[in-house]
Amino acid sequence: MSQKILEVKDLVVEFNTDRGKITAVNGVTFDVHKGRSIGIVGESGSGKSVSALAIMRLIPNPPGRIAGGTIKFNGENLPDIQMDEMRRVRGNKIAMIFQEPMTSLNPVFTVGNQIEEVLELHQTELSPKERKEKTIDMLRLVGIPSPEQRVKEYPHQLSGGMRQRVMIAIALSCEPDILIADEPTTALDVTIQAQILELMNKLQRELGMGIIMITHDLGVVAETCDEVAVMYCGQIVERADVDTLFKYPKHPYTKGLMESIPAFDSTSGKKKEKLTTIEGMVPSLFDLPAGCNFYNRCVSASDRCRESEPKLSPVEGSHEVSCFNPLSL
Amino acid sequence: MNLWVYTFRRLLYVIPVLLGVCLIIYLLFNVVAGDPTHILLGKHATAKQMAELRHELGLDRHWFMQYLDLVKSAFTFDFGRSWSTKQLISSMISEGAIPSLTLTVPGFFISTICAVSLSLLVSFYRGGLFDKFTILICISLMSIPSLAYILFGQYFFAYKLGMFEISGYDFGFPHFIPYIQLPVLIWITLTIGPDLRFYRTVVLDEVYQDYVRTARAKGLGEKLILFKHVLKNAMIPIVTYVVIQIPFLILGALLIESFFGIPGLGGITLNAINSSDFPVIRAMTILSAVAYIIFGVITDILYTVVDPRVRLN
Repeated sequence: MSQKILEVKDLVVEFNTDRGKITAVNGVTFDVHKGRSIGIVGESGSGKSVSALAIMRLIPNPPGRIAGGTIKFNGENLPDIQMDEMRRVRGNKIAMIFQEPMTSLNPVFTVGNQIEEVLELHQTELSPKERKEKTIDMLRLVGIPSPEQRVKEYPHQLSGGMRQRVMIAIALSCEPDILIADEPTTALDVTIQAQILELMNKLQRELGMGIIMITHDLGVVAETCDEVAVMYCGQIVERADVDTLFKYPKHPYTKGLMESIPAFDSTSGKKKEKLTTIEGMVPSLFDLPAGCNFYNRCVSASDRCRESEPKLSPVEGSHEVSCFNPLSL
Repeated sequence: MNLWVYTFRRLLYVIPVLLGVCLIIYLLFNVVAGDPTHILLGKHATAKQMAELRHELGLDRHWFMQYLDLVKSAFTFDFGRSWSTKQLISSMISEGAIPSLTLTVPGFFISTICAVSLSLLVSFYRGGLFDKFTILICISLMSIPSLAYILFGQYFFAYKLGMFEISGYDFGFPHFIPYIQLPVLIWITLTIGPDLRFYRTVVLDEVYQDYVRTARAKGLGEKLILFKHVLKNAMIPIVTYVVIQIPFLILGALLIESFFGIPGLGGITLNAINSSDFPVIRAMTILSAVAYIIFGVITDILYTVVDPRVRLN
């Protein structure tokens, strides 16, 4: 196993709302390893984005706050450090790219300006001329054609895919140890999605950073990740390396997710006629059931699931699942 | 298309707008307002006297010629003479503009700068005590009628405490300064409330945008985010709001000027209205229309500077 660079343990994030307090992330634990990617998968509202924002301490406060747990990075617990120390981590050691490349860039500054800004902040040893050169190098690295011209352009002059490349260039310009990608391809065309994911894979091989890939798309996970954590209602319900998870899902929710994707199964000769869906609704975070959160939708639920809550525990090697009745092979 | 071509084309659009505005002014004064000879000669005028006066004022000419005169005056700023003082209106305007501007320009600058910086500050502490307190003060300031400020200021600060001159004006720098202090202060008090509330809304619109989150994720400090990223985006509505106020600065402040005895354009207009001095009122109307149109053009040109998304074609 390669070097562990980020350790998230029992992370709890709470939000105060008009209707009361909700726990958007409830005891999430995962590690990020150097040069490896962990995917965090789940539906909207499962707490995957909030977990990522918590690492960056970007949870809007109020109403949100990190209510518990630790985020260990370089021997320090990120929720405890001073804000100016956190700012030296942001964009420098841990960088983040967002779902909306259309709105995530500032419309009134040139893309060059927005890349240079982060270099000016974290790489103070560079001269203005070196910064300009590095900016162009970064644009070239993320595959933007004629970067000398593009550097002077504004975000609205670029396509969605190009803008996401610019976001990646901003994120990677200080060679961060960790890149958090929050649904980086959701807003893009399918062909562009593949290009961006390929680019991220390539840059990870070259720069060796750890990636946290937040997505609701299992296809993205299969393509980019080494390890996967499946989230449901603010908790990780299953975690395994990517091959194991796709081959032997143990949690009924994971299996349900996989079956709800159309498959082109040309080898088996078996044609699926209808997509399976997971019956029922995600419970409201205001009103979580006493036992397992997935109880009311689960095909293999038992009485025990209604009364007590399962904990994430190992089943085989590094494969962990939080289910009393994990699926057998 | 470069900026010069754009400016030129934008200026060409001014011509039809100005012609239309002149037509409306003509209709308002010559059709709606009635026959000015009744006002000038009173109830007991004979028909002969009225006919003579109509001829003297040029009211017996074809309506189109009168309209053309009006259009001409909009371009040459030659508005003829005042009915009541017989002075050249153009020289009345150029004399009155100075006291008006010495009052409104400092007031406008101080008020705008204070309101913009305060709006950034309250947006930073949005929802907090400072924000709520500032908004409360703004609304209180806006709720008190302007006359109350003028009378209170003159009675309390100028008369009782003797901190300022009660009224009057002296031409030339720096002689006018003691006379404009209190009026400028009152101007700021009057305008800062609505200004601050507007700028706060504008800034709050930007603070929650995705690019602000990106800036934070890059590790930028809150001050830099606010004064660089947010302010530059907020400049687009701010520029519109600021530039559109400038024509009113030229016209002066009606109430403040008349209460403080400042011989500015506001006072001139008020006197002209009181004495039914049509040519002066008309001149002021044309002047404000022209100023409004010109600053509209300037706003459009500034957009292209502030917002790179505004395409010149």
